[in-house]
Amino acid sequence: MIRKTRRKGTWLAATVLAVGSLFATSLPAYAETGVTSTEIKLGITLPLTGAASPGYNKIGNAMNAYFKYVNDNGGVYGRKVTLIQKNDEYSPQLSIAKTNELILKDKVFALVGPLGTANFTSVHKSVGIARRGVPSLFLNTGFSGFANKKTYPTSFMVLPSYAMEAKIIAQFLKENHAGKKIGIVYQNDEFGIDGMGAFKAAGTKFDVTVPYTSGTQSAATAQTWVSQLAAGGAQVVVFFGVTSATAPLLAVAAAAKYAPQWILGSVGADPLTLRALGVPLAVLNGAQTPAGNPSPNDTSDEYVKQFQEINTKYNTGTSFDDYVLQGMNIGMMTVQALRAAGPRPTRKGLIAAMENKGSTFASVAYSPLGFSKTSNVGHTGYYMAVMDANGDRKPFGGKVTLYTTNSGSGPVVVSTFKRPAMPAKGLPSNS
Amino acid sequence: MRNFKFKRSLTLVAGTALAASLLVAAPTVASANPVCDGKVPVQTCGGATSDGAPYAMMVPANFNGTVYLYSHGYRPNVAIPAGIPGYGGYTVTNTPQPGPNEAVIGALLAKGYGVVGSGFARQGWNADSAIKTNVELVGVFKKQFTKTTKVVAWGESLGGFITQALAEKHPDLFSAAAPLCMASNVDALMTMAGDAVWGLKTFFDPTIKGGSYSAGAAGYAEAMGDLVKIFTVLGSLQAALAANPTAPAWPATSKVPDAIKAIPSRSALVMVALMAGIPLQSANFDATSAPAGLPASNALSFQLAINPAFAALQNLANAAALGALAMYDLELQAGGAFFDNTATDYAARVADEQFSWASALSGTSGTAGLLSVLAASPRAKANPAAVAKLKSLASHSGKVEIPTILFTGVADPVTAAGNQQSVADKYAAHYAEKWVAARKAGDRKRPVNNQLLVWNFPAEKYTKYTAAGAPDTTVPAASGTGHCNFTTSQYMAIADLLAYASVNGKNLSGGPLLTKLRKAGNMTYDREYSAPALKYYGDN
Repeated sequence: MIRKTRRKGTWLAATVLAVGSLFATSLPAYAETGVTSTEIKLGITLPLTGAASPGYNKIGNAMNAYFKYVNDNGGVYGRKVTLIQKNDEYSPQLSIAKTNELILKDKVFALVGPLGTANFTSVHKSVGIARRGVPSLFLNTGFSGFANKKTYPTSFMVLPSYAMEAKIIAQFLKENHAGKKIGIVYQNDEFGIDGMGAFKAAGTKFDVTVPYTSGTQSAATAQTWVSQLAAGGAQVVVFFGVTSATAPLLAVAAAAKYAPQWILGSVGADPLTLRALGVPLAVLNGAQTPAGNPSPNDTSDEYVKQFQEINTKYNTGTSFDDYVLQGMNIGMMTVQALRAAGPRPTRKGLIAAMENKGSTFASVAYSPLGFSKTSNVGHTGYYMAVMDANGDRKPFGGKVTLYTTNSGSGPVVVSTFKRPAMPAKGLPSNS
Repeated sequence: MRNFKFKRSLTLVAGTALAASLLVAAPTVASANPVCDGKVPVQTCGGATSDGAPYAMMVPANFNGTVYLYSHGYRPNVAIPAGIPGYGGYTVTNTPQPGPNEAVIGALLAKGYGVVGSGFARQGWNADSAIKTNVELVGVFKKQFTKTTKVVAWGESLGGFITQALAEKHPDLFSAAAPLCMASNVDALMTMAGDAVWGLKTFFDPTIKGGSYSAGAAGYAEAMGDLVKIFTVLGSLQAALAANPTAPAWPATSKVPDAIKAIPSRSALVMVALMAGIPLQSANFDATSAPAGLPASNALSFQLAINPAFAALQNLANAAALGALAMYDLELQAGGAFFDNTATDYAARVADEQFSWASALSGTSGTAGLLSVLAASPRAKANPAAVAKLKSLASHSGKVEIPTILFTGVADPVTAAGNQQSVADKYAAHYAEKWVAARKAGDRKRPVNNQLLVWNFPAEKYTKYTAAGAPDTTVPAASGTGHCNFTTSQYMAIADLLAYASVNGKNLSGGPLLTKLRKAGNMTYDREYSAPALKYYGDN
């Protein structure tokens, strides 16, 4: 009897084992680069040091702070999200090397928020981002060329394009500064060309045009910019460049008592960073700027309020500004993308999730997201804002008037889009 | 921006590229049969193949049956007058070379391998004759050393071309092959060299002839004159860059309009490198770093704009010298001028890269200005018969049926990494065809991949600066830069991989491969990496 029972037990055990192994082999094995049962590894390249780093060097830490917050609240389907930051010093060649490290050595699942137009174009070609099928989400650049889905099939923008921005500024100039002499200072690369092409298409005529080469921005070169603008009698000056160039431009202009109506492009207009670079906030008073997000000081905004709380707890000692807001928001959008890719995320699945569900993601920005199977365009519009003497930003005309457009010949229209509500406690629950 | 004082001329750094190291004092007997010295533990044999090419064989007493056939690189086919920087005093030589250097030869012999190499019957671009020479030499070796069981081929630069051709055309003779820092087809290579010389001529000295050399002694004088002018221009540019890195002056010989001269001459240098497909990382310039202590804005400017210009200067010294020397040699062989850029769209050539190097090119307006000069300048026109003759020279199909191992520096200025990539692309197409054919035949098993691609990437930052903050060009070329700049460890790793492949009929793979490469240092296997294509393989 005992013997019989033991035999039965052995038989049962063998059956269980056999069924178990059958079950195990009938499930497709799950394996994906950068994903383990406990972790999803992501990477970003950005300038953490050097002339171009002010402001940008806060984005990665802000993303990390948001991920820590999510991780402390259960992670993404139980996995913690980690972000590896690599300092490229804003050098495209270093971006290539660092991205190679992220992909080959660190073996990240995806790139999120890589920064710089020349940087990402170089990386995309040299590293073979599309060939390798590496998802590159929420590029921190507005170069409209990245919207080419054929060339950049695995990449997704987040910012409205520079062309969209220029079209909206052009409309604003027409409506509010007609008849004035207009000057422009722009970065003399694809960033600037993107904008200049759109200005031209919109019929904006500049009386003074001052291109500058990226990397040459300094107080000395700003002297020549200001001299040209002043000599040309520019009453309104549009600036289309990075913050490390805005700062010497405004500082030199203030010292020379040259005070045109400034219209600062969204890339180079963060007041806290400008102040850190030595620009007196008073100089910014009255400056106009296109903005996609609410002011980082606007605690009546549910996103800003939640992100500020996360920043206080997880990014201790870091002042909350546009860059931190942007970093947190990219972090939150990334978590939504990862959730949309499901509990067994693959690179292909993440790309499909962006295409199929990306346009529904919650985001702090006021404008709609353009993601679809045929589009990797992120946000699509701006409102115009005015800075005050405290470095704060208020909507021009007292209320947010959102303009949306595309990077091509589409019109600039006032949008009635209502952005999605902030997920409860800032923790996405989408799938 | 501060100025810099260099300890030596950047253009001199290039000088070793084509100078072969001549190693072996083998008996130099014009004999069909080897004459051996009979020494122990290594005997050295010499002789000549039927074309008169001298060869050297070295075989240890404990010969294990495997011999390495080495093909040396390009040696100019004319003497170079003393006084020409880097190359002056060279005389034509066909001394045989049975391995890359003495250390590698010694290490192979110590392992029981034999080594053999020819000096080839003619110098210059000699692939067609060298292939025949090598085939005959293999027979001579086997006849002399009947214990021979495996022959592997390897070679560098032009020797890499010859090695690939041997693997494609004579799989019956070789068990495995390793083309190193290889040249690909001659028309592709000479497009790069021709563009480089034409660019220097167009921007900096229109009296550079750049091809269409006259017959006889006059042509020789023109070619040597071009060498002198190229180095003079590069020397002027170096001095200008050192004196004022931000806005270096244009050489006095330049005839570009004054409006163009408002663009720093360093941007024209970068343009020449980009349009020719020459890398912007060089032996001593990483295109990423700046001297310590510069203000942040100046440091960024140095990283983005100035460092790449120095790299272009250093690399062009190599590529343009090849342009003049090989152009002269090959025009003699082809019977006339073959470089033709009448239809070349240089704007298209740099379209992909101009934004990556926007600062170095002085922005979009600087780029447009430089391109306008290229568009408006007289072009070089070829003689169709010479072009046809050039195309009739030996070329690669990429189709190999024996294991091959390709290895090159990603920033090689003479045989740019695109040379290796072009052969890889051809093999990939061949492999795809084989796989389709196999499936049609009902075979579900993938064919064996006979090609192993290994790359030597430069470090992220390697430029050395003196205490005064000047770039130090006296230090050795960084790994992954320079022409065929390999370490003994890397050569031996390749040799070991060849040995494995010759025994197993396939390349080493998986963990053992990665371990082997890691131990050798700076050898990367990355299936997804693709080097920039040579401009020749672009659309124009």
